[in-house]
Amino acid sequence: MKLYEDYKEHADFLTIYIREAHPIDEWRMKSNEKDKDDVCYVQPKTLEQRVAIANDFTKRFKFALPFGIDDMSNAANDAYAAWPERLYILDEMGRISYKGGNGPFKYDPKEVRAWLAQRFGEVKHGEPATTAALQRASL
Amino acid sequence: MWKWIAIALVVLAAAVFTLLSFMAGSPKDAMQMVRYALPYMHRGNLHVGDTAPDVTLVALDGSSRFQLRRELRGRPLVLVFGSFT
Repeated sequence: MKLYEDYKEHADFLTIYIREAHPIDEWRMKSNEKDKDDVCYVQPKTLEQRVAIANDFTKRFKFALPFGIDDMSNAANDAYAAWPERLYILDEMGRISYKGGNGPFKYDPKEVRAWLAQRFGEVKHGEPATTAALQRASL
Repeated sequence: MWKWIAIALVVLAAAVFTLLSFMAGSPKDAMQMVRYALPYMHRGNLHVGDTAPDVTLVALDGSSRFQLRRELRGRPLVLVFGSFT
């Protein structure tokens, strides 16, 4: 969210909701059950169920980023090897300029910030870009 | 000879499963990770410089649809893939 606020005047953002990573009927996470608002969902079997969870998410976090939902064919997930989470940056021509690693361990918004900072300048109140992140970001 | 290879493979499999159980939190979690995570977690075929694939996305209203590449408006586009859980 902070990254979006910092760079929304320079770049567009799109969140794409894909199949759940830790639904209770698959690889459930105890941490989700301990969450004060109980983030427990089964893996959606219909588009209506998927849309409902996406709306729960955006309402709970007052999520401001533009939002799209992968349909039940999982076409976006398959095309971008996105599961469980991944970041990309497309350039103005629609080419991939940055491809992040698989989450959660290689999901690194700092790399996106570094890419944007190199292109548009650093935003002072954001997290500083590291040299390593700049090197890893595909520029 | 084959007997020792078989024993080595069993020991290796046990070691890998123990490591996965430690990483995932429990043997049950490790089984769920193998079954539900590994088939979906891969690097994919996209590389820097490739044209971004176009896909159809559903809007939050659940009925309208739009193309991902429609969101390209002459500026860089950051794509954030993820889910709630």
